[in-house]
Amino acid sequence: MTDTPIHRLGRFGSSWIVGLGRIANFAGGIVLAIVRPPWRVQRVVRAVYDAGVLSVALICGAGFAVGMVLGLQGYTTLVRFGAQESLGAVVGLVLIRELGPVVTGLLVIGRAGSATTAEIGAMVSTQQLDGLRMMSIDPMHFVVMPKALALAFVMPLLSSLFIVFGVFGGYVVGVELVGLDGGSYMASLENAVGFRDDVLQSLVKSAVFGALLGVIATYRGFTSPGNAMGVSRSTTSAVVTTSVWLLLADYVITAFWGV
Amino acid sequence: MKTSTAAVRDFVVGVFVLASLLAVAYLSASLGGLSYKGAGGFELVAIFDDIGGLSQRSPVKISGVKVGQVKAIQLDEDLRARVALDLDPSLELPIDSSASIRTAGLLGDQFVSLEPGAEDQLLGPGETFTYTESALSLDKLVGRLVHGDAFGDD
Amino acid sequence: MANVDSREAHVEIDSVRLGFGERDVFEDLSCRFARARITVLMGGSGTGKSTVLRMIAGLQRPDSGRVVVAGEDVAALSERGLQRVRRRLGMLFQDGALLDSMTVLENVGLPLREHTKLGEAEIRDAVHERLAAVGLHDVDELLPGELSGGMLRRVALARAIIMDPEIVLCDEPFSGLDPPNVERIEALFRELCHDRGLTLIVTSHHMASSLRMSDQIVLLQHGRAVLGDPGELATSGDADITDFLGADGAALARQIAREGHR
Repeated sequence: MTDTPIHRLGRFGSSWIVGLGRIANFAGGIVLAIVRPPWRVQRVVRAVYDAGVLSVALICGAGFAVGMVLGLQGYTTLVRFGAQESLGAVVGLVLIRELGPVVTGLLVIGRAGSATTAEIGAMVSTQQLDGLRMMSIDPMHFVVMPKALALAFVMPLLSSLFIVFGVFGGYVVGVELVGLDGGSYMASLENAVGFRDDVLQSLVKSAVFGALLGVIATYRGFTSPGNAMGVSRSTTSAVVTTSVWLLLADYVITAFWGV
Repeated sequence: MKTSTAAVRDFVVGVFVLASLLAVAYLSASLGGLSYKGAGGFELVAIFDDIGGLSQRSPVKISGVKVGQVKAIQLDEDLRARVALDLDPSLELPIDSSASIRTAGLLGDQFVSLEPGAEDQLLGPGETFTYTESALSLDKLVGRLVHGDAFGDD
Repeated sequence: MANVDSREAHVEIDSVRLGFGERDVFEDLSCRFARARITVLMGGSGTGKSTVLRMIAGLQRPDSGRVVVAGEDVAALSERGLQRVRRRLGMLFQDGALLDSMTVLENVGLPLREHTKLGEAEIRDAVHERLAAVGLHDVDELLPGELSGGMLRRVALARAIIMDPEIVLCDEPFSGLDPPNVERIEALFRELCHDRGLTLIVTSHHMASSLRMSDQIVLLQHGRAVLGDPGELATSGDADITDFLGADGAALARQIAREGHR
């Protein structure tokens, strides 16, 4: 095999495109599995519990902390321009448009995404997926689809919780600690935030992030080689790949939203 | 025993989904202003020479009370700013009412302030304000002071 | 070896070639597995014992050749056709391959819940019947993580036979088990084969138990298969076989042959 840097680049590029094609194919398989009965309600509920409910404390706590930091940083910056009355708008817009979906996304990747990849990878290495195939049960339908669907479903919900707790955290700092007027905090927030440009953009972002995570995390687990080393590599790769794609997608959505 | 743990899990998932949907609803309706849509629907138009920093969703106020918001801003044929206002339908504004662009505080957000007139005839949906006053921008104001015609008519 | 060959073959592997990457596992493998008998696949590690089972199960397709299971060539079947054949197969994986998020009851009853219209009570009864057959009671609510190695294998065996298959494939059922558990599983295999008439294909490198319980042995070496019962293997004179059995194995095989098959 010829081995110049150009050849290597070419091989890397073509194998990358092949990988992209495989993931797209896999994602199509998940969509097909979603629409194909039986509905696996119990499996999905279980996955929502694992990915969503178990992340609630983390998300709410992180949201509150981020909101408090934003409140403090925002206040010290705004007060220089005498615009501290706009603190609510600053905290709210930053949380809704960016930090809510992005930080929630990264936290869920780290918590639920990695767990999903590791769990499916372990099922591959302990032959649980082959066991399902032997019982004529499609692992895509029984294992992959509920987990991917749950990740895509809980992401906007968790992001909304994050934002609400963040706004509350900003309120605690701005109103209780610094002594701004609570009414003007909320008023500037309500005036600044719009549905289509801000809230809808936020929900669309987190839904896209959730879908990305659902597909990549399950794909990496599903294709992980059947040994402990392979599972840990797949898990790392799922976390890194999804984080990078999330940030790229964030920029693209923000740019196309035109704001 | 086993059924009850599964049932507890289902219940907790239900609570989680409900609470999160409440958060979504709060963001959309209360913060996002979706709920205000209910009171809108009465559209009036005001033409300005200069709208300053006015933008979509900027509030519309009468005597400081919010009665609606800016729905759209376009340039009309005469290259002036045509601002569509979405107002509370119960408003009764005489045809000689005026619209002006004001600033909340020295550096705050801009909003449209309406001044009711005295005529008996009322403005109907889609009609245009006859009298408008454009945004007063700080740099223009400073310019006038420097050139000593601060109190000259504009 | 003609007496073994003449029995009706339930599973037949014919001229199979299979390679992973550059390495050929089988160049030209042919062997037959008799109906209602216990066949043990033996061979050193890396000789592809598990791969043979995976090919029979349709989990691994050969590069060429035929794998005929109960009259159908699984190497040529679509995923749909495979599902039909797999209804007649049960498989006991090396570490049980039970779903670790589900209880024993849910695990064993899963095929019934997926493929039949039985109600919860009927499923529970069927599960209890199979669990009793493998000597387990009151384990319904345990998770696989809470079971010992021997119990895990037996639960997995109960799951493998829940749909009343004709053929049960067992991948290294004795690995990591202590002697009492090995004997218990051996006895279960004999019972399944002789009382229920199932065809058992077992991979094992556990020499003593393999020789004790097998009706026939398929010895995999250097990509080819040698078939025979323990006595025939001990007296074959083939260098490969003598090497594999070693002195102890050969002695045990001769003893088993002398005492008659059980």
